[in-house]
Amino acid sequence: MQNAKDTFYEVICGRLVGVNPERTIVLRGVVRPGVLVEENELLSAIALPDCFRLEWSVAKVDPGGKMPLVTLQCSFLYETAGSAINGGIDRGRALAAMDAELQSVISALPQNSLKMNYAGLAFRGVTTAMSTNVWWSDSVFGETVVNNDRLARTTTVQVMSYQEAGEL
Amino acid sequence: MQSSNGAIRLADAVMQSGGGRTVLLRIAIPAVPGDPAEQLGLATPEYQDIALAPATFHKANSVSKLLVSASAVHEALGSLGFDSADVLFETAVGVMIDDLIYKIKNSYSSQAVGLPYCYWLTLEPPVR
Repeated sequence: MQNAKDTFYEVICGRLVGVNPERTIVLRGVVRPGVLVEENELLSAIALPDCFRLEWSVAKVDPGGKMPLVTLQCSFLYETAGSAINGGIDRGRALAAMDAELQSVISALPQNSLKMNYAGLAFRGVTTAMSTNVWWSDSVFGETVVNNDRLARTTTVQVMSYQEAGEL
Repeated sequence: MQSSNGAIRLADAVMQSGGGRTVLLRIAIPAVPGDPAEQLGLATPEYQDIALAPATFHKANSVSKLLVSASAVHEALGSLGFDSADVLFETAVGVMIDDLIYKIKNSYSSQAVGLPYCYWLTLEPPVR
């Protein structure tokens, strides 16, 4: 499952840079694309606005077939207060822009990618390609939620992959 | 400004005479640019402990509070390049007191002439 999660994050990250290179965040002193995985960050990063925060929740495993089919639910949480220079009056448009970016990133073809194993990076090694793909569904947009001065939304995507032998 | 400095000195003196101690503010050092290992949770960030003194620790029932001298906080802000104490406390991993890491739930300052002379931190003890 971990390789599927990592691969999906890297794909989303790369595509977001192409769709809107200005969607960035500063996290621990480093500028990076405006997407993060909550479970991989310090707790202080979680409330960041104007970026996409990935949260992995439900996991299902279908053991039928040659390899178990794993389905993970990925939630994209994002919120914006609009731009300060406009007093936040453009927060609706800012949220709509984030909706459009996410839609472009998720629905861009192909909606799959070769699964990669990133474990080697922990020892300054390299990533290795695996034998199967990761693929994902279309996005399902949730309701707009008013969170104090911010507008927030959660959009979900189902991410699927086959569990290869020896995978975490 | 002089009144504020006087308030800071007075607060420091009161804390020191009342059993002021040193606590360690733990912050993560800046990430490595372009390193996907940290973004994927594969590499643990390195941490830096900043000494804050004088400070007094209050623990009553389930509430833990830390009173920290503004002079210590301002010195840390200057050396670490943070914009404000709020950002420093929000990005910190926690405060180490007696070898235990307490998470910072919130912070606020007591002020004189519009400038802080001490900071109050509400802490959450570690789960045992």
